[in-house]
This record gives sequence, C-alpha cells and structure tokens, in this order.
Amino acid sequence: MKCEARCVFKSRNALHAAQLMQAPMNQPQVLLATQGVAKAYGPVVALRGVDMTVRRGEIHALLGANGAGKSTLVKILAGVQPADAGKVYIEGRTVHFHTPADAIAAGIATVFQDPALIPDLTVAHNLRLSRIDEAKFRTSLERFGLGDLDLGALVRELPLETLRIVDLARAMARDPHVLLLDEITAALTADQAERVFDLLTEWRAQGKSAVLITHRLAEVMRICDQATILRDGRNVAELVTAEVDEHQLVEAMLGASVEPLMKTAQGAMASRRLGETALEVRGLTDRHQVRDVSFAVRSGEILGLVALEGQGQDRLFDLLAGARRPVAGEIQVAGKTCHFRSPYDAVQRGVVLVPGDRLIALLPNQSVHHNLALPLFNHLRRWLRIPTDEQPRVQRAIERLSIDVRAASQVRRLSGGNQQKVVLGRWLVSGFRTLLCFDPTRGIDIQTKREIYALLRELAAQGAAIVLYTSELAEISLVCDRVLILHDGRIVDEQDAATATESSLLKAAHGLEVVA
Amino acid sequence: MMMPSMTMRNNPTLRILFRNSWTLGVWLLLGALVLWYSTLIPVFGPFQITSITKNSLPLVYLAIGQAIIVIAGGIDLSLGALLLLSNVIAARFMAGQPLPAVVLIALGIIAGLALLNALVGFIITLSGVPDIVVTLATGYIWSGLALWILPSPGGGTAPEMRWLFTGSPSGVGGSYWPPLLMLLIPAALVAIWSRNTQVGLSLYAVGSHKTAAQLAGLNVRQAKIVAYGIGGAMAGLAGLAMVALTGTGDPRFAIGANATLNSVAAVVLGGVALTGGVGNVFGVVATGVILIMLNPILIAMRVDSNNAQVIQGVLIAGVMMFGGLVAFLRERRS
Repeated sequence: MKCEARCVFKSRNALHAAQLMQAPMNQPQVLLATQGVAKAYGPVVALRGVDMTVRRGEIHALLGANGAGKSTLVKILAGVQPADAGKVYIEGRTVHFHTPADAIAAGIATVFQDPALIPDLTVAHNLRLSRIDEAKFRTSLERFGLGDLDLGALVRELPLETLRIVDLARAMARDPHVLLLDEITAALTADQAERVFDLLTEWRAQGKSAVLITHRLAEVMRICDQATILRDGRNVAELVTAEVDEHQLVEAMLGASVEPLMKTAQGAMASRRLGETALEVRGLTDRHQVRDVSFAVRSGEILGLVALEGQGQDRLFDLLAGARRPVAGEIQVAGKTCHFRSPYDAVQRGVVLVPGDRLIALLPNQSVHHNLALPLFNHLRRWLRIPTDEQPRVQRAIERLSIDVRAASQVRRLSGGNQQKVVLGRWLVSGFRTLLCFDPTRGIDIQTKREIYALLRELAAQGAAIVLYTSELAEISLVCDRVLILHDGRIVDEQDAATATESSLLKAAHGLEVVA
Repeated sequence: MMMPSMTMRNNPTLRILFRNSWTLGVWLLLGALVLWYSTLIPVFGPFQITSITKNSLPLVYLAIGQAIIVIAGGIDLSLGALLLLSNVIAARFMAGQPLPAVVLIALGIIAGLALLNALVGFIITLSGVPDIVVTLATGYIWSGLALWILPSPGGGTAPEMRWLFTGSPSGVGGSYWPPLLMLLIPAALVAIWSRNTQVGLSLYAVGSHKTAAQLAGLNVRQAKIVAYGIGGAMAGLAGLAMVALTGTGDPRFAIGANATLNSVAAVVLGGVALTGGVGNVFGVVATGVILIMLNPILIAMRVDSNNAQVIQGVLIAGVMMFGGLVAFLRERRS
C-alpha cells in the first residue's frame, strides 16, 4: 500500500517533469477533465453525462440546484464511488479511482461537507494517520487564524467550523493539483471564509486549481473564474463568471420553466377553506441550528418551507416531530401546549413525519403490508385481539396511492417513488392531523411526483394541515399556499406561494434582498 | 464540552488522566481488590502474587486480542477456540522435545494462528458477512480441529516453557517476575503500538468512523485484517500460557467457549466500546486480572462456588451501569 502510493506519486512527478521539458511553451492547460461521466443509483439517474474542464490555475465553480448531480460528481472525482460510464482525465491521462486513496494519490484532495476526521482520535493522531507533516499543517492553520489550535484535542470536542478548517488545512498539506471543496464556507464565519478566499487566490497564483461547490453565488462571482452548471445530471452551461451576473447564474441553474406541471396543478388549488390553527410554534430554538422560529399552520393549509442545504431545516423538523427537545420555545397542537419527549408523543397528538431519508422510516426487509400497518401496532389492545380492520385499511391505502405491489414482499426492492408512497401511506392507514413532509419528492420520477402533489392537495382539502419542506422550488407554487424561507436557522421571509417565483425564492434563500 | 473545567482542558497531564479515567478506575479497582484479598487470607506474599499473575495470563492475552479487534470495529467469537487449538498443538508436539524445537513450535503457533485469523479477517472484509457470524462459524471449526489433533487431555511441554509463564519449571510456586513480565511486556507492546503507529491508529479510525477513515484515504480492509491477525497471535500466546500452567493440553469445547465470553467481558469492563474506536489495551489487562481474582477472593470468603458466577455477573452489570451513570451525569452537566 505504502509503496503503491509512492510509486504513483513518482510516476506522476516523472510525467509532469517530462511534459515540462518536452514542451515548456505549451504546457497542458487542462488539469482535470471529465467526459460523459454518468451514474445511476438503481432506477434513479443522478448523472446523465457530464463534461467538465478545469484548467491549470483556475478556481472553478460547480453549480446546480439541489438534485442536479453535484454531489454525485464530487463522489466520483474523489474516488468514493466509481462512475457507470465516462472518463476522468488528469493532465490528459485517463485515471481510474477505486478508493479515495487513489484520488488522493492522483493529486485530487477533497474536503467533504462532513469532515473526514476520526472523532475518537486527536487532531495530531488524525494527521499522523494521513501522513501529514505537522509543521506544514501548522503553517496553513496559522493562515486561517487557528495557529493556537491544540493538536492534542479530541476531534469530537472541537466545533464544526474548526473541523472544516482542519480538514481544509489537511487537504492543502497533501499538496494536491486540485482541491475539491464541497460547501467549504457553509459552516464558517464571514471572517474565516474571507481567509479561505485569500488562500485560494494564492493557490491559484501557484498554478494550482480548485473546484468549488457552493450555494453562495456572491462567492462564485468574487473568486471563481469559470462555472460549470449542472441541471438534471447534465452540464448545461459553462460560463466565464466575469461575463455574467448572479441572476444569470440562477437562470442557468433553473433552465426552462416547469410549465407543463404547473397547468395540471392549478385546477385543484381552486377553493380550499382554511380551518382552525392545527400546529403553532413560538420562539422555537435549538442549541445551534434553529433560532427563534415562530409560525402557525391551519388545517386545510399547506405551508411550504424553503432553505438551502444546512440552514437548520433538519433540526426544525426533528423538533416538530418530537425527535429532539427544543432549548426554548413552545409547540402548540390545536391550541394546547405540548412537550414532545419522543416521536411517540407527537404521533399521539396527530403530528406525523415523512422524513427526508425514506430508508430511515421503512423496515426494508418487511413487506409493504407490514410497513403500512406499522403505526397500528401501537395500540395495546392488539396484544390480545387479532386485528380485523387492518387488512381493509391497508388495502385502501395501497389503492389510493396506487402502490405498485409487484415486489410487495420486501420494501427495499421497490423503486424510490413507491417506497415514498409507503411512508406516506402509513399515516393514511393510521390517521393524522398534521403532516410534516421533508423533501418527499427527492430523487423521484416525475409521474410519482405528480401523484404525491395531488395527494397532498387532496389531504389538505380534507382538513389536514401540512408543512412541506422541499428542495425543489417548483413545488412551492404547485402545492403550497404560503411559503416560509429559512436562512441560518431563522425565518427570514414569507411569500405568498401564488406569486412566489423560483428566482424570488432562491434569492431569499440565499439571503439576498427581494425587491417587492 | 466534555471537559469539566478550564484548568483540566489546558493542563496536558490532567487531560491525559481525565481521558483515561476509565483505565485509571479499573486499575484502582484492581488495587483495592488485591488489598482486600490480602486482608482476607492469613498470609499474602510472593506465592499469591505468582499465582494470581500466572493464572491471569491466558485471559489477559485473549482479552488484549479481543480488545484490538473490538477497537477496529469487529468482534471475534473464535478466540477461545483458537486458544484451544494453540493449547493442543503445543501439548501434542512439544512433549519430550528439546528446547530449540519447543521454541520453534511456540513461534510457529503464534505466527500460524496470526495468519489463520488474518485470513478470517480477510474473509469478513471480502464477504461482508457480519464478524459475529463468521467468527462463530470458524470457532466451531477450530474447536473441532483441536479435538482431532488431541482427542483427550494429555501431552506436555518443556520445563523452560513452564518457567517462562509460571516462574517455576514445575509450574508450582516459584518467582513472580517471569509471569509478571510476560503479562506486562506483550500488553505494553500492543498498547504502545496501537496508539503510536499509523497502522495502529488506523484500527481506531476504522472502528470509530469507517466512512471518514475511507474518505481520508485509509485502507479500511487492511486495518481489519491486521486486527484479526493480532487477535490470532494473542490467542496463540494464551494457548501457550495454558499449556505452561497446566502442563497438559485439554481440547474440551467448554474451555474455549468460556474463554471467549470472559474475553468479551474483560473488554467491556476495561472501557473498550463494543461499537469500536474507543478504549485502550491497558484497561483490559486490569479487568482480565480482576475477573481471574474473583475466584480466590470468593473462596477466601467461603462463598459457594455455585454462587461465584452470579457475583461475577452482578459485578459486570454493576460496573457498566456505574460507567453509564458517570457518562450521563457528565453529559447533563455540560
């Protein structure tokens, strides 16, 4: 292993040297390139063929709406997953990565959203594991203003923003050709982000490159030279950032509008009468990520929630569903203050959750029937009584959602869309008053999406209150009545779903001022 | 923050003590037990020290091996059976042999079992079958092999081997230095290796957060194979200690099964998290000795030997709950 890595390094350097000697005048400009890279996860196609070119001495932005395939491309370039098809070139040579170690050896160092540091070891131990020179690491830490960091501290004791800097400093100490930075500034303070930019500018001056995946368009405009924009698993635009503005970037990310879907949706929106307040929260605060959130949702209403990744929406849903207890603030269900100690309490009050990761909610090796009937197992009387009404209830849910039951014996064999229907259907079987949906249509085909939209509207028309977080902005105007925008744990804006546009939402979610 | 105060966070010595508070705790417990035991019996001297130390050797070795495997995120239910295998091979082939041959056989057993168990580790990483299932199966296989090699108790070893592990060529009485050194040297070697070398740290990394380890470019498969190899070597050493202690080989299945369970108990008591990545080998040495010491203590207290296991169970549960309580209080205070 040790030898292998060293050999790769050696041959790379040798090649590099040879190229320099051969053609000092036209040194290869393209450092990293992909050609037709494609990847599918079962039936879900994440990348349909991406061509990206990163030149030497360039900071390259990789942009796209949620689900466009950015993170899949990062995983392929970092050696976490192999591509199904297509090629990756470094300095014109094809490379094949089987493990992250291969990518590192080839000169691509990645900083992932979750720091790749071992929590139970000290920072010094982590460095030794990665064969990083401590002195070199210290020097780059100092540049970030963390020169006094105690390397003897356990990783799990350090705050997230420090870990991201540590991870970045480690990646830089590997001396790679290309830095791959996934949302590097997300957890950083403005001051730290500033230092990162300074360092990247220097990095570029040394003839090295970086690929930046970010939601913050201002950063793209400021330090990136080029931008590749992904949409729906393809690269749809290569822009020189100096020639465009932020609004043009947003438009390129959104692409052609979703008119056909719009039309099917409008009809059902027509008349919906709002009832009593079903769920109200006041000053809800979690330790770090949710700050003083207040809103109310009435029965018959679908309240949308929009946020960029990592703005506290996960925590907020955990609090609402009883999976976490808030530090401050209160939750009222139908006017009564509740203290949820566990999701069980919330479900008893009729507040139910469809979580973002459907595999968390499902029992993958059990049948569709078993998964749908799961909430019914709560009732104590079933210890003694053999249930008779379970079968028809489950059957009704299967029909209403038109779940494909060909692979019904094991839920894990269903497609993503059908799995999502099972998660939703479970609450139809047991009944509920308030439905919390966390990105229910992520990675789901268009047909199932429509069915889920229709179902949500139907449920609302029957008097359910629904809180819908979605990463697909088009859904807001299709499904919701009102929409709240969450930024950095706070609700920063409220828009009427009928008049909200994707760009108005996206701008608000980026923390930009929306011109009324 | 886990640290209770600023002074503790800033003082490196205090921090090391605090971080290893569990290890410290079990060594204090061992010290207290030894003191208590010395008041229970009329005479406490070198003979008792020798006796406790040499009787602890097989379990301590096995527990060290188990600890390394558990730290790397696995668990090995075949360690007891490997001990049997080592024990019967040694007893059958060492009997009546000159010293050089005995030494070669001993080294061969250790190296052979290390390779064998590394192969098991390789199979686990390759197949993706859970560790517990694979090692349960291989445990039965090794137990069967042991019976095949030595169908009934018998065989023997060289007096020098007995002296090395017991302090006396006949296995009775003798100096406490050889067994004490045989206890501490392997433990120290493994402990220092595991906390200071890249491969050693990679075991912790893989057990603590496998994905992060992989993303950081570590060879996850290699770490697990190495851990299982060390486990095999320690089981081989345990089998040799066994033959030195008793002077014979014994292939009975129950000996191996008990040894496996005791090794897991020592690991858990020693502060190694069964989820992997946390703990160290030194704590496990103390708890291995504690589990062995319970027997003479209970005999000295004239407790019926049938009740000994109940007390052992209560002790394990009690210590673990105490640990859980401490962690809970610490969390709540922060």
